[in-house]
Amino acid sequence: MPSVRLIGLRKAFGGIKAADGLDLEVRNGEYLCLLGPTGAGKTTALRMIAGLVSPDEGKVLFNGEDVTNTPVEERKAALLPQTYSLFPQLTVEENITFGLDIRGADDRLKEQVLISMLDLVRLSGRSTAFPRELSGGMQQRTALARALASGADMLLLDEPLRALDARLRISLRTELRSLVKSLRMTTIHVTHDQDEALVMADRVAIIREGRIIQVGTPKEVWDRPATPFVANFLGQSNFFIGEVLQSSPCTLLRTPDGTVLKGRSSDLIPGTQAVMGVKIGSTELSKERPGYLQAKVERILFEGRNLHMDMMTGGGQRLSAKLPSWKKGRITVGDTVGIYWEEEKGTVFSMPANGLESELKVE
Amino acid sequence: MVAAISRKRFLTGWTAFIILFFLFFVILPTIYILSYAFTEWGSIEALLEDQGRMDLIWGAIGASFQIAGIVTVIDIVTGLPMAWMLVRKDFRGKNLLDTLIDMPLAVPTAALGFSSAMFFAITDESLQAPSFALGTIGSPYLLIILLHVVFSYPYMVRSLSAILVQIDQTYETAGRTLGASPLTAARTITLPLFRAGLVTGIILCFARSLSETGGTMIALATMANARGFATGPTLIGEWKDALDSQPDLAAPLAFVSILLILLSLALLVVIKLVVMRVHLPMGRIWPRPERLLSRGVFPKVKDGLAVLFLVVFVLVPSFFIFTYVGSVEPTAFDWAPFIRSLLYSFLIAGVVTGIDIALGVPLALYIAKNRSGRLAGALDVLVNVPLIVPTAALGYSLGVFWASQEIVPTHDVLLIVLAHVAFTYPLVVRNVAGAVEEVDPAYEETARTLGARPVQAFRRVLYPMVKSSILAGAIMAFTRSLGETGATQAVVANAQTAPVYIVDLINLETAAGYYSAGLACIMLIVISFLFMLALRYVTNRRAR
Repeated sequence: MPSVRLIGLRKAFGGIKAADGLDLEVRNGEYLCLLGPTGAGKTTALRMIAGLVSPDEGKVLFNGEDVTNTPVEERKAALLPQTYSLFPQLTVEENITFGLDIRGADDRLKEQVLISMLDLVRLSGRSTAFPRELSGGMQQRTALARALASGADMLLLDEPLRALDARLRISLRTELRSLVKSLRMTTIHVTHDQDEALVMADRVAIIREGRIIQVGTPKEVWDRPATPFVANFLGQSNFFIGEVLQSSPCTLLRTPDGTVLKGRSSDLIPGTQAVMGVKIGSTELSKERPGYLQAKVERILFEGRNLHMDMMTGGGQRLSAKLPSWKKGRITVGDTVGIYWEEEKGTVFSMPANGLESELKVE
Repeated sequence: MVAAISRKRFLTGWTAFIILFFLFFVILPTIYILSYAFTEWGSIEALLEDQGRMDLIWGAIGASFQIAGIVTVIDIVTGLPMAWMLVRKDFRGKNLLDTLIDMPLAVPTAALGFSSAMFFAITDESLQAPSFALGTIGSPYLLIILLHVVFSYPYMVRSLSAILVQIDQTYETAGRTLGASPLTAARTITLPLFRAGLVTGIILCFARSLSETGGTMIALATMANARGFATGPTLIGEWKDALDSQPDLAAPLAFVSILLILLSLALLVVIKLVVMRVHLPMGRIWPRPERLLSRGVFPKVKDGLAVLFLVVFVLVPSFFIFTYVGSVEPTAFDWAPFIRSLLYSFLIAGVVTGIDIALGVPLALYIAKNRSGRLAGALDVLVNVPLIVPTAALGYSLGVFWASQEIVPTHDVLLIVLAHVAFTYPLVVRNVAGAVEEVDPAYEETARTLGARPVQAFRRVLYPMVKSSILAGAIMAFTRSLGETGATQAVVANAQTAPVYIVDLINLETAAGYYSAGLACIMLIVISFLFMLALRYVTNRRAR
């Protein structure tokens, strides 16, 4: 199973830069999720790996070998598009053996692969059905079997769960991952759904405006976001701007109105402007404890498992928090609450060059 | 790596070949005659001085465009209620009506001209038209209008209903729930959404009427005392016939062709601009009269008239010839020359269709897959040119083009094939390009990532999906080639294809000639009808 390296890929469509110096390394046998907002260049990156789009600049390496100009069909990287693209005129069986037929495999081999694939994706009873006769989940499994049977050693999944309904989508996450992992395929899975990426990936790569901004395990990208954008895109954060007072053993940030906030240690130089981000789920509220700062509760939304609180500080800043639902009733609209967090939960970033607002924008 | 590069080169070379074929064998010959205005301006100047000929030319061109315009208006007025009925209403016999509309399409225009003229016009004594024929039209102008309505009406109904099906009826329903009467809702909400269909319908009808030669010539020959009346295409046919004995006709022929080509292309642009841009005063509402017209007896009268029109002005004239052959005294019919001409026509149509598919499908693929590219966009527009240019002018231009150079020997069959390819090629390209665009490119891409080479991806994945469109395009090309008169005559004056043979029989103006023409027409109808059935079968299967 190959490793993949993308080096400085650039691709523009008209004036739009879909890849703008894209670097990424995917390890052998790894399940990597490429996560980013709509229009970030996820699909273009995937298509460049597949060979369906050729980059304007940069290289694609498989196992260290340059494949930038290798035709699609010789890359052994099977694509599973959003809508699966099962060939409508072929049965499940014919779809699955498509790749083998193309290569002129003999009937014995085809039979063997077919039986094992049908078994693997639990479609043995439906081998003579046509794609339109299958449910969404079955279609997805057929497409997966087709890709696996083609002899590809890399899987490129383009939002593979998007076309399914919500409940099935969630149950198929683990199923899809364990199937692919059991075959030790190198897999690149494109998605805009952060929960999906966190649950499924060995590592998550966050892409924005045609560039990879952070790669790490789900826990790393969640707990230690590299930029304010990542902090906000994964799980939404409250942000505070201020001056760095010290950066170790914990970072202290003084906001313009004089409040001092605590965050994890950093390597920022005292005296510079910085941004602190705290996930709204890590923001704790208390009527008794004064916390770092006070805010008035303006709205409470009941979300089932969680309560979502919107608050306004005396200085006019809007903040949000998520609390478990069992805390319902302890805080009501109009209450003034103290806001605090554990210092490990506050991440301090240097001030983004274009300002905080444009940094956080999701286009 | 090396293999990949050479394959890429091969693909580029092949694409270039296809595009060059299209440009040099289809487009250039079609409009080549325009260059005559530059190289032989002297002879055209002399022609402009020739009052008698100029009168003839302007008369014919004027008649062509007037007739096409009037025919199109009649088609819209009568076709719209019919299209509406077929799409929006449910009644017994709807399927039958749907089939009947297409029937005239199965009749070659040569047969249609003979049949319609016999029904409508005052005819020659020796023809012995059945006593129950209408037999009242004495004006050739009026006769040609009626004839052109017969064969263009189905095109209009089809284009209008094709769009009507796609228009979401909920808009109209919403309008109705807000208090609009059915007529108001249809007129103010659905009709404005209709423009695209209207443009297609108008262009199709106009182009068909402008281009029609065989049926027109036959109708004029069938009618008593129609001498002296000509349309642009029939004038080309007549003069080309006389060109060998009167070489000075070259300039007038070129001039008529140039006029027809330029005017028809200009008209294409104008129709597109006018219908899409001009804002019709659709917004005004007359609630009371429209409500009144929506109720009671009026809608029924409207539908009844639509059906009556279809029967009297389209269906009966199309098939009147069967009653003629049944009622007239049989005379000896010499089958041999007709069969020979029929085989000749089949041979040509077969070769033409083969070329259309072999070279048209690749162009269609190129256009459909590079839609955003400038070159493909330009080709997509150019493909329409041979469809709108009257085939007689196209044929003459093409004949002059191939005679002017020495790459291809100017053999009769070859010239006819090249002429027929020019106007049938776009039919295949249009059909296939449309179908390919409907297919999600993800299918082929996925196939490629599964290890299929481009050719394998096409053959295994795309081809099965567009197969029926290729076949439909091929059948259309075949029947058009089989029924064509104008282009054939304009390129080779005395070609013996089946429609030309029928024209010649009628021009004999003898009872035996008419009878033989009638039988020949019926045979042609039966053969075309079988093709039509095949087409319907194929396209219906695609719909499923």
